[in-house]
Amino acid sequence: MKISKQELNELSNNLLFDMSEKEYETLQEEFEVILEQMDLIGEIENIDDVKPMVFPYLIKGHELREDEVDNILSKEDVLKNAKDTMMDMIKVKKVVG
Amino acid sequence: MSYLDLPISKIHELLVNDKITYQDLIKEALEKAHKYQPTLNLFETIIDNPSFNGLDKSNPLFGIPYVLKDNFSTKGILTTGSSNILKDYVPVYDATVVEKLRNSGAILVGKTALDELALGGTGTNGHNGPVHNPYNLDRQSGGSSGGSVVAVSSGIVPFAIGSDTGDSTRKPAAFNGVVGFKPTWGLISRYGLFPFATSLDHVGIFTRNVLDCAYVFENLAGYDSKDMSSANTIKTQYSKNLDNSLKGKKIGIIKEINDSMSNSLVKDNMSGVISLIKNQGCEVKEFNVDERLLRAILPVYLVISCSEATSNDACLDGIRYGIREEGETYIKSIINTRTKGFSELVKRRFVIGSYCLKAENQEKLFIRAQKVRRLIVDTFNKIFEECDCVIFPASGDVAPLIKGASDDEKLSSKYLIGENHLAIANFGGFPSITIPSGFINEMPIGINITGKCFDDQKVLDIASGIENTLGLKDLVKEVK
Repeated sequence: MKISKQELNELSNNLLFDMSEKEYETLQEEFEVILEQMDLIGEIENIDDVKPMVFPYLIKGHELREDEVDNILSKEDVLKNAKDTMMDMIKVKKVVG
Repeated sequence: MSYLDLPISKIHELLVNDKITYQDLIKEALEKAHKYQPTLNLFETIIDNPSFNGLDKSNPLFGIPYVLKDNFSTKGILTTGSSNILKDYVPVYDATVVEKLRNSGAILVGKTALDELALGGTGTNGHNGPVHNPYNLDRQSGGSSGGSVVAVSSGIVPFAIGSDTGDSTRKPAAFNGVVGFKPTWGLISRYGLFPFATSLDHVGIFTRNVLDCAYVFENLAGYDSKDMSSANTIKTQYSKNLDNSLKGKKIGIIKEINDSMSNSLVKDNMSGVISLIKNQGCEVKEFNVDERLLRAILPVYLVISCSEATSNDACLDGIRYGIREEGETYIKSIINTRTKGFSELVKRRFVIGSYCLKAENQEKLFIRAQKVRRLIVDTFNKIFEECDCVIFPASGDVAPLIKGASDDEKLSSKYLIGENHLAIANFGGFPSITIPSGFINEMPIGINITGKCFDDQKVLDIASGIENTLGLKDLVKEVK
């Protein structure tokens, strides 16, 4: 199955970047390899009965903690990291209206 | 006299006996860093006035200079991820790894280049161009931890920190004749490491021998409440416990992986290693693994890692992080920022991830990849019931040429097994170490030793035993 350039274009638009025609062509070739291999994987017996593995092992000891203030950055440090500030605030481009 | 070519234990001895000072070591590291940078292109930042916080002179890392891959946050020090989008980013906090090494008395002298945001395996896709292999400047360092590995192999520092999501510490180690180790997932905190694929990312260590690796590892391991994947385990003195006896050790080899190596000399090297360790009393057993599972490693890795990366790197938009390109609207500004800020390779990986996560594709691609991941991990856990570890060649061939690297990064079905098998250890979170095993045409190659989760000591022991048998350690390639 070949993915159309239009579909790839929609994906890159959703990801909020532009790509060139040549980049889409390379991607089409890469997708052919991935999808072909993933189809072969689908032929493994009972694959759909296997439980998906999300992490290498079950992580223990990270129960929800009390909502206490912990590990905070100082206001000075936070503002130091911002490109544009105004008084004690980070200034960004207008989002609404 | 060059001190930084020596093993950490020797440098430590000189330091505690006042034969040298940590200032001598800093001076030597910085001189080499500046001298080699134009040739090797391994640094993002050389730290000319490093801070030193050594309190415990008995710690083997006291006064030892090191370098850090530029995807670890360093407070007040530029951290670019070798990406244009973060070229001006100065973090406001330190990664746990940085804090721990500072408390150990180690001295950070440089931040090293990587494949952009660690999404690559050649060392050529950083925003400042390729890192060069000191053994042959026309060849790749390997990646993504290219700058870190080269800093160790060229003798600038005795250890370096990298990261490893698919093989980014262990394959470059083979290409550069050094040791590259990623411990069990969760043993070293990833707080402050730029996430690439959260379920696969590990901190990696480069050294020139296994004992040095144990020193660094024991200083980094430990529970961290700031990393929700951190494992709560007992503190272990890996260096003191190191036992290099191979007698009675059970080693597994995988027929289908060994057969898949593209260079026959790599296969010969592996056979040579096997017969030497058998002579040392190792019991070697060959296993067969369903080739369909092995051929699935690359697609499964790509589907999972790209999907996780797409989500993890969504914050790089010029608003929350990164350079900001102007645009008529808020959205246009983000589009301009991300278009200009990411390389072609990174954008392609994000598109792959986004496609796999689309509602209509998720079950067939992302979820199915997670299912195959389990089958692969279960297969190896079953093998570990019958042996202490498995060993394989770390790569099918020597470091490839820099020319043609973009083709190496392009996904192909040419070498589906032999160049991707190290990712098995990322799928399972297994401890996995590469050590030098020989040379082909003056280029180093390595073997990899992988064991089951939390068998880190056993993996280090066997690596140390094989290192001792082969007599290949403390290799430094001087750069002319």
